[in-house]
Amino acid sequence: MDNRVSIAQTRIGRAPAVLRACGLGSCIAVGLYDPQNHIGGLGHMLLPSNPEGSPYGMEGKYVDIGISRMVDELVRGGARRDDLVAKIVGGANMFETTYQTLINSIGARNARSARETLARLAIPLVGEEVGGNRGRNVEFDLATGKMLVYCARDDERISL
Amino acid sequence: MPFRELNHVQLDTFKEISNIGMGHAATALSQLIGQTVRLRVPQVTITEISQVPEHLGGAEQLMVGITMQVLGDARGSIMMLFPQESAHHLLCSLLGHQDRGQALSEEDVSALKEVGNILASAYLSALGNLLKKVLIPSVPLLANDMAGAVVDNVLIELSRSGDLAMMVETDFTGEQNRETTIKGHFFLLPDPATLDIFVNLVGELHG
Repeated sequence: MDNRVSIAQTRIGRAPAVLRACGLGSCIAVGLYDPQNHIGGLGHMLLPSNPEGSPYGMEGKYVDIGISRMVDELVRGGARRDDLVAKIVGGANMFETTYQTLINSIGARNARSARETLARLAIPLVGEEVGGNRGRNVEFDLATGKMLVYCARDDERISL
Repeated sequence: MPFRELNHVQLDTFKEISNIGMGHAATALSQLIGQTVRLRVPQVTITEISQVPEHLGGAEQLMVGITMQVLGDARGSIMMLFPQESAHHLLCSLLGHQDRGQALSEEDVSALKEVGNILASAYLSALGNLLKKVLIPSVPLLANDMAGAVVDNVLIELSRSGDLAMMVETDFTGEQNRETTIKGHFFLLPDPATLDIFVNLVGELHG
């Protein structure tokens, strides 16, 4: 089974599946996990929120809609809503530029939208590896809830 | 106009325009590095945004990406991608360096941005002449990382107005000397509103 979550996708699964998102730059990956039932989801989102407020296009394109939708799917799939925890990865600013402040960069806004959406849904954020200017790969192990982040440029591995 | 509504004639015309633009860019590159530069006939692909990294040879492939916004009468982005090895060969030709590591020095970055600038300017001026539009490249920005991460900024821009991307892809190849083959991809990603302008003008050209 292909457990790759490509751009603008969300995917849920259960242990022993390992969900993967590759080549995250300004995009953000949000992982949700129920540690009791070993069920979780991973989304690979592009934009902080849908400006018109009307859902259209691919399900996981927007951080806010993507997270809400994953929560619904997880609950339908047997997860306990109150046990869900979250981890976020990505939201980098790949192209350093003088006329784009860090606050306004799309990566930073994606990370902020993820934090705000999780806070609104009362889902604790238990790990993050965001910002900077490097690309990241994520492996989300649904047996343990561990996230392994790999940065190809620095050849660095981080465990969340 | 959504990308999907483009017909074969329109796509072929776009391919032809790109061929001319790329031809100018290849000439500029060839003069810059003092080597013959061969050019593959551009492919015009309309694809879902999520599939773009696959078209680049996979999200994890290490690439040097140089991006510019297209400003003026039409808007969009240009993205040039060089596999890391090709970027190093390019730098050897330009700066005469040997045996480089994976990291890029400040001088390397500046040289590659300049290459990007020259290619984009040659391409846009050819395109602009044909379409009688003023097209100006912005200051180039560079990233040296995984293809997926390098390209997602452009995809984010495109995804604001749709789920599809149009890629004009060309390979540049240097002399067929196995030591110095330089491969590159060139993507023009017009905003959907800009695509309307292009298509209308292309229609007029066909007249």
